[in-house]
Amino acid sequence: MRLNWKPFILSLFVILVLFPFAFMVLLSFMSGWRFPDLIPEYMGLNNWNTILGSEVGLLESFFSSLIISLSVAIISTLTGFLLSRTVYYHPRKRVLTLLTYFPYILAPVVFAACLSYFFLKLGLFGNITGVIVAQFLIAFPYALLFFSSFWNKKIRSYEDLVATLGGSPVQKFIKVILPLAKSMLLMCFFQTFLISWFEYGLTSIIGVGKVQTLTIKVFLFIKESNYYYGALACCLLIFPPIILLYFNKRYVFKNPI
Amino acid sequence: MIKKIVLVVILCAALLSCGSENKKDNQALKTEDWETISKSTNGKTVNFMMWQGSPVINEYINNYIIPTVKEEYGVNLQISGGQGPEIVQLAMSERQAGITESQVDIVWINGETFFQLRSIDALWGPFLSKLPNSQYINFDDPFVSTDFQQPIKGMEAPWSMGQFAMVYDATKADDPPATLDELEAYIKKHPGTFTISNDFTGMTLMKSFLAELGGSPTSLNGEFDEDKYVKLSGQLWDWVNGNKQYFWKEGTTFPKEQSIMSQLFANGEVNITYGFSEGGVEERVTSGLYPNTTKAYPWKNGTIKNANYLGILSNATEKAAAMQVINFMISPEAQFEKARANGMDSNTILDVKKLPQQWQDKFKNAPGRQYGIKLEELSEYAIAEPAPEYMIRLYEDFRTKVIEK
Amino acid sequence: MKNKSENISLGLFVLIGVVPFAAAFGYAILYSFGIIGVVNTGFTLEFWKAVIASGEFFKSFLYSAVIAFISLLISVGGALWIILKFRNQLERKFLSYISYLPLAIPGVVAAFFTLQLFSKGGFFSRISYNLGWTETTVEFPDLVNDAYAIGIILAFTTIVLPFFVLLFMNVYKNERIQELSILAQALGAKKNQVVRKVFLPILLQKTWVLIVLYFIFLLGAYEIPLILGQEAPQMLSVLIIREIKQYDLTKISEGYVAAVIYTVIVTLAAIMLFLPKKHGAYET
Repeated sequence: MRLNWKPFILSLFVILVLFPFAFMVLLSFMSGWRFPDLIPEYMGLNNWNTILGSEVGLLESFFSSLIISLSVAIISTLTGFLLSRTVYYHPRKRVLTLLTYFPYILAPVVFAACLSYFFLKLGLFGNITGVIVAQFLIAFPYALLFFSSFWNKKIRSYEDLVATLGGSPVQKFIKVILPLAKSMLLMCFFQTFLISWFEYGLTSIIGVGKVQTLTIKVFLFIKESNYYYGALACCLLIFPPIILLYFNKRYVFKNPI
Repeated sequence: MIKKIVLVVILCAALLSCGSENKKDNQALKTEDWETISKSTNGKTVNFMMWQGSPVINEYINNYIIPTVKEEYGVNLQISGGQGPEIVQLAMSERQAGITESQVDIVWINGETFFQLRSIDALWGPFLSKLPNSQYINFDDPFVSTDFQQPIKGMEAPWSMGQFAMVYDATKADDPPATLDELEAYIKKHPGTFTISNDFTGMTLMKSFLAELGGSPTSLNGEFDEDKYVKLSGQLWDWVNGNKQYFWKEGTTFPKEQSIMSQLFANGEVNITYGFSEGGVEERVTSGLYPNTTKAYPWKNGTIKNANYLGILSNATEKAAAMQVINFMISPEAQFEKARANGMDSNTILDVKKLPQQWQDKFKNAPGRQYGIKLEELSEYAIAEPAPEYMIRLYEDFRTKVIEK
Repeated sequence: MKNKSENISLGLFVLIGVVPFAAAFGYAILYSFGIIGVVNTGFTLEFWKAVIASGEFFKSFLYSAVIAFISLLISVGGALWIILKFRNQLERKFLSYISYLPLAIPGVVAAFFTLQLFSKGGFFSRISYNLGWTETTVEFPDLVNDAYAIGIILAFTTIVLPFFVLLFMNVYKNERIQELSILAQALGAKKNQVVRKVFLPILLQKTWVLIVLYFIFLLGAYEIPLILGQEAPQMLSVLIIREIKQYDLTKISEGYVAAVIYTVIVTLAAIMLFLPKKHGAYET
């Protein structure tokens, strides 16, 4: 009789996955946790109270992150979707796709370092608009590539059908294409939201320390060795995506059409 | 498609080459009287770029300076994170792009950044004599009026004063090393308990070592001397490389910044650390990071004593309001608050003897440090900052001749 | 009319997708030759020579590539093993939600978390101290900011492995590997033959482009090596940014040289990867 080891391994997985989250939350309640103690001096709501109230501006960071990520997600999903049609119906679509890949695979922080001059010149340095534009530049290629599989022969024949039946381009778009693309649009929105929500390097360069998103704050607290506040910032950073995931799990992966 | 890209590159090049130079110099501001300047600042937003690596400093700025300048002058002070290289980088890119309205108005700097900013003409001034509170500063003190061997000439306002100190845990060493020979003997006996941080603080320690190798506390004074640097730094790197096997992690790697150093000391990984503001002992013992047996002590040949400064960028948008803020930051009340031993614990830049009587009394009666050493106790070990080139070269060489070896 | 709107959107595409990249690249090239830059004096090959002579960039490149490769090897291998053994269980509601959770962890948090757990003053060090395994922090092994980049690899794996588990789950379902395996077994294939001839080839063939893409992403990763790396050698992005932001203003151009070489290498990789026609590859 073979011992069934699978349940143990599975429980281990669950612990491994849940542990970081639990650890972060606990750490955010602590203070005075010195080596080699296992139990901190203090455990309670102190950090949350001070940090959400005082001038540290964590709440402000939360909301500016939210504004930035929502804007980036909306703009890049829409432009990505609309422009991807032109790109994938274009006779030279392979070259165009390739061009999209260049900014997509380049490290955002290096991209930003080389772009910062132009952002300065355009007055897009050190403000939220600039950060949105910069993040859009890296989220857009993602969105565009994301929709590559959407514009296939099937969709094209639908489009032709509507046109033959006398539908106007607007009708075609609203009545046929949008409903077909709905779930992919949602998925793309979710993914581009995450790209922006998690972004650090590019934001730190284009935001010059003035646009303090949550990721920037986490770094700041690590530099200060203030791990309790750092953990708190991490919590604010991971819980919105968890909630989104809960509602949206099925939008993470797309099925090939 | 390739053609298009080439075209774009050429266009960019064209765009780059015509960076317009229409710098507003705000000459008028320099001749205006303080009252007029002071009245014009209500409702203005000032951006202050500073190093944000210390909780007590952030606390002081966020919960004292910002609310007070808002309340008293209606100035909206905003902080952005950045130090030395980042400030210079920003000023440089803005200069290159011909930006007339800078992202940042006030910068917190020290000598090497001062040197670099001046070399690209990015500081505005002189403005210091405009500030009413500058009357309380003693400019006859060379540690105030000379920054890394350069006269400040009113181009930056001194803000704090501090001295570099060595730090050890009294339970771990009775007689902490205070010369290079003693240090060598110590780490051979206690391997792994010392290291050099690859940052501003670590390089400042290297300057002390360099001075010791030069034979006296004043051996690095004067302008940068290439021959002297090559000779002394050669000896220094020989010493470091010869002993780094006894360093933390056998000298295979070095901590990147001061907060990591403090963490190592707090965890008992290293026995000896060091730092500005007399080692920063008071703050870290009170906050519970360091054990209360921690002590600061002088290095025999002396450690660097210096002031740090506030400057205004030449393309700052709100120069008047920036002066208002700086004037407040060097006021007796702001300096008194800053000096609080259980707060930011940073020595005042003001000459207490020059202050009105009530402030003299306040400064005199303020509770002192419980754990840290006093600045005066270190004064006989104070050495002046050498020329900025030493620092820049040490950075470069520490990387190529030690870390990458 | 139709043509006009096509042209507009093609124009927009070029403006958003192509111009910034070209501009950034052009800027880096000009800077690397000293043509622009406040303290530069004009065209020079000096910076290129310096970068090539010092060899630091190439060392860093190799270092990054090895780290990225090992992390991917662990992640892809681990994910394949999990799918092979636990596929059925992972489809249960609770476990399936759990398996999506790691996607909510960004690089910054993974790095922070790794630091908290594995540093010498960290969680595991405390446990080993309290169990009496170690008496001082020094005895605890070097797991972050260490010479073998263990911390970086751990954090990379934390981020990448869960992703590949989900990806393989999806491919498994969509490619009907279950049915194919049953068919193969019915035709007399042994269990490990099914794994080697059906399971692995289909999964890897459908996802290899993504695996290579992840390699390139890890190569350019920034925040994780910034927090968990050591001072030398450093990973590519960290090196490039450090050189661009250095104290010695006359050497900033060397950072742009590194940026140019890096960009050229990844661009070439993209061309090789995406220009040939490919079929049915997966994307997320």
